[in-house]
Amino acid sequence: MYAQFGYQRSPWRTHSCVPRRVSTRRLCALRRRAPLLLVLALASLFAACSPAPPARKTIAIITPSHDNPFFKAEADAAAARAGELGYLTTVNSHDDDAHRQDELIDVAVANRASAIVLDNAGADATVAALRKAKAAGIPCFLIDREINATGVAVAQIVSNNYQGAQLGGQEFVRLMGEKGSYLELLGRESDNNAQIRTRGFHDVIDRYPGLILAGQQSANWSQTEGFQKMETMIQAHHGVKGVIAGNDTMALGARAALEAAGLDKVIVVGFDGSPDAIAAVGRGALEATVLQPASVIARLAVEEVHKFLTTGATGAPEKQSIDCELVTPANAAEFGLFGRK
Amino acid sequence: MRAHFGELSRALLAVVLVGGIFAWISPAFLTSANLTILVKHVAINAILGIGMTFVILSGGIDLSVGAIVGLAGMVAGGLIHHGLVFRGWGVVVYQHTWLVVAAALATGLAVGLVNGLLVSRLSVAPFIATLGTLYMARGAALLSSGGATFPDLGGRPELGNTGLPVLGAGTFASIPLPIWIMLGFALVAAVVAARTPFGRRVYAVGGNERAAELSGVRVRGIKTAVYAISGFCAAAVGLIIAAELGAAHPATGETFELNAIAAVVLGGTSLSGGRGSIGGTIVGALVIGELADGLVLAGVSEFWQFVIRGLVIVLAVVVDQLQPRRS
Amino acid sequence: MTDLPILEARGVGKTFPGTQALDSVDFAIYPGKVHALVGENGAGKSTLVKILAGIETPTTGTLLESGRPIRLESTRDADRFGIGVIHQELNLLPDLSVAENIFVGHELRRYGVLVDRAGQRRVTRGLMARLDHPIPPDTLVGSLPLGRRQLVEIAKALARRVRVLMMDEPTSALSAAEVEVLFRVVRELTAAGVAVVYISHRMQELLRLADDVTVLRDGRVVGRAAAGEIDAGWIVARMTGRAAEAHPRETAASSDKPPVLRAGEIELRAGEIVGLYGLMGAGRTELLESLIGLRSSQDPVWLDGARIDRLDTAGRIRRGLAMVSEDRQRSGLVPTLPLGANITLAALRRLARAGYLSARTEDRAAAAQIADLGIRAAGPRVPITALSGGNQQKAVIARCLLTSPKVLLMDQPTRGIDVGAKEEIYRLMRRLATQGMAILFATSEIAEVRDVADRILVMARGRIAAAVTAAQATDEALVAAAGGGAA
Repeated sequence: MYAQFGYQRSPWRTHSCVPRRVSTRRLCALRRRAPLLLVLALASLFAACSPAPPARKTIAIITPSHDNPFFKAEADAAAARAGELGYLTTVNSHDDDAHRQDELIDVAVANRASAIVLDNAGADATVAALRKAKAAGIPCFLIDREINATGVAVAQIVSNNYQGAQLGGQEFVRLMGEKGSYLELLGRESDNNAQIRTRGFHDVIDRYPGLILAGQQSANWSQTEGFQKMETMIQAHHGVKGVIAGNDTMALGARAALEAAGLDKVIVVGFDGSPDAIAAVGRGALEATVLQPASVIARLAVEEVHKFLTTGATGAPEKQSIDCELVTPANAAEFGLFGRK
Repeated sequence: MRAHFGELSRALLAVVLVGGIFAWISPAFLTSANLTILVKHVAINAILGIGMTFVILSGGIDLSVGAIVGLAGMVAGGLIHHGLVFRGWGVVVYQHTWLVVAAALATGLAVGLVNGLLVSRLSVAPFIATLGTLYMARGAALLSSGGATFPDLGGRPELGNTGLPVLGAGTFASIPLPIWIMLGFALVAAVVAARTPFGRRVYAVGGNERAAELSGVRVRGIKTAVYAISGFCAAAVGLIIAAELGAAHPATGETFELNAIAAVVLGGTSLSGGRGSIGGTIVGALVIGELADGLVLAGVSEFWQFVIRGLVIVLAVVVDQLQPRRS
Repeated sequence: MTDLPILEARGVGKTFPGTQALDSVDFAIYPGKVHALVGENGAGKSTLVKILAGIETPTTGTLLESGRPIRLESTRDADRFGIGVIHQELNLLPDLSVAENIFVGHELRRYGVLVDRAGQRRVTRGLMARLDHPIPPDTLVGSLPLGRRQLVEIAKALARRVRVLMMDEPTSALSAAEVEVLFRVVRELTAAGVAVVYISHRMQELLRLADDVTVLRDGRVVGRAAAGEIDAGWIVARMTGRAAEAHPRETAASSDKPPVLRAGEIELRAGEIVGLYGLMGAGRTELLESLIGLRSSQDPVWLDGARIDRLDTAGRIRRGLAMVSEDRQRSGLVPTLPLGANITLAALRRLARAGYLSARTEDRAAAAQIADLGIRAAGPRVPITALSGGNQQKAVIARCLLTSPKVLLMDQPTRGIDVGAKEEIYRLMRRLATQGMAILFATSEIAEVRDVADRILVMARGRIAAAVTAAQATDEALVAAAGGGAA
């Protein structure tokens, strides 16, 4: 039996550690020492990174990936306000991975953070992690996205996506002159905000029978996909007068595709109010976008953390909704990084 | 080694079949404008697939191409926007567009070289080596701008760095430049793979590394070279995408590596190395591109697009497996 | 021979596609006796052992256990009858400990489910003490030198309480002291009534230990005798199947010219064929691989007056060295390339014009080699895998010849190919030598080395043990030298 299933090393492999040339010999030596080197390297890395033991109170700030300027602005604003109020901060990203988020919350609990400011990775997937933090006596303040539970977080401060989408929808109707066919780019369809935004758009636009939805595709919040999908969609739908997109990056991708096809007159409206988009609105590349006051929300959350830690209450209801603002060429100059200047 | 007619014709059959179905569903599919757009979209995946074909022929895999796409775009974007900043001297040097392009391509080549050296000199498994550089290149792309997009890559005439968008939006003989670039890459790569000593050695290394070494092939050199080629191709794609969008976003290119691998495999190249062709990869990329655009034209929802794309890939490979093989 | 044989093969034959490995072999094993099995590599010894161990099933014939016919469908069956094997290629798991290796698949249990590690360690300690090598039971097998590993393999068989123990060259990696321990253990086993089958190339060892000797050649039994009635000469004559006479060729080399290849004790002159004779594991392959640069060499290597041991393989090939490897499938052929591309692989640089390989030039070069070496194939575009072993081997040789080497290294050039093809390859080697090429080839067949070589180097345990001209060589002296210098 052992003969049949016996492990036989391939002879070619067997000799792989026989020094064939000097370089390989060095490599073998390096391999033996590798664990030690690794430990040293990691140790020095930790030494460089780890903060001094907290003398002051720490706020853990956790958001989705900072490759999106929206989340970066949010995290930066929260950290800046916390600094002004005399707190230390740790800033981390969960990359929309609920498991990673859970780990980061565990770390915050272990490090005895005073509070957590969180832009969460899933309305349901987050609840259990927050209960854990609450049980450990750490208050949590949610920003930008809600969860499907109340009484777990101290505050849930979100921008009113539905109201914002209605604002965008009304401006789109006005720009279209209440008639004509248009295309829609959806965000990632599994994302709650993508659904709320498209509902907000359509609750306004669908009241005008002259406006016809010619095509609808998801471009997964991505500029590249927005570009390629728009290039293809305009092949099937000629005479399109406008494009409404679930976020600014897709809107900018669509605009590039329309320009390449010589369709400069098509109206494009986005959502988010990212700095790129505001600049684009300013020079007329986008007709309008809706600004989510991410910086405002983040600052507000940190202020409520401060109030809660000093007085034991925020003085505000758990669910708070902050209105979005419409950005048009007329007022683009008044806006900065996800907020009024 | 030579594009086996049987394998190629099967893949071509898939192109015609899928194309036929979409032409029937959507009248816009078979218009020349749409086909031009389609091939322009295919160019992205095809150029990545060309580099990937060399790597896979040699018996490896390159997972870092998507990240290189992002990084190369960011290098171009950063140079156009900020130039090269020499902090100590307070000097900022802006490059001419050609230098920007060269720097982006050199970045891809460099990441590819790192892959190649990891695989050939340090014997790191290709999957792991390129997974590592995937993360490093993506991280570098994010760091280069702090996560932000470099918008408006039009450049400024007074700095002499205008013209990059032409790479994406320009045409020659009324065919978009990305298609010409793809054709150029494909032609060169097909000749190199089939009819040069280098190409033959790539096949030999993938077919039997030890026999290749005993035939005087410098196996490590070949392995290093294929990853460098792949990195170069990925950088070219990064430039094309940045040029098309007129913007460079650090997350560009995520999961592109999977599409490229799918194109290579659909084109009949064996994942275990030594067997396959560039022509096959181009055809494979065409099938994937037809699906992506055809389903959009047909108005199929994103979720079904995923299912259908997966089905076609699996089906094509299964059909390929069922063919009797000469051995 | 009053007892009934504990295990017996009657008229056993085994056919593999293309070869008859065994042909109606009778073989009987008696309790308390050592039965030696001898023959050249490929004579069928290992196949016979595999049949008796249930690894292979015979095509014809029957097996009997104590007179009753039995079927051995798997090693599990053989295990049930108390048949154990120590294989030549050790079947040990390098990442497991000595104790774990000894009990792999037969773990001692506690409560029926848990592995009784303490018990395994205790038994292992006892076994290793019995073998005079108290290796700690928790030592990783991969960290042991080859000789010790062989002892672990022996301990593994002892742990099974076997009734029949078959040992395939158990001493090939053992030192003289370790061999003595092994012999003592074998005697203990036979005293306890265990039947032992013993395969070895070392004549002196065989004659000391064995009660009976059976000689196999080309899958048939060609001699059988009690060990007391015969000597080494008797065995060798039957192994090689001929009277000890050779017909050496007129050498084309002249000894007044400087050698074209020089490395340590090895000197090769243009036009000379040198045979490297030795048993499996003697270090022939390692020597040839160090010459071509696949592994490092201690001695400097000189080719045509230039030192080449600092060059890599590709560099040495460019200087005029070429090698036909032992294992076509593993390191000779590129199975994914057609015949023509396999032939031209080493000469691409020369065939390319300005970096371009024209299909016509390439096909023409390949076709010329195909015709010259008499490779039987429809043309350069056929898949290499469709060719017979002999023709594949010729394709590998053709690849080497296209680089116009000054020195050709060949590792067992006729391994696994039929008799007709063997003759063709011998003729080719002689022709190449006559044209001025120097050839160094390794083999484990005495007839081959004496027929083809001008001079013979005998290797044993990684060193050149003897050097003789073909005219001076005798079968017996070669076998003795290869067996470890005992003669």
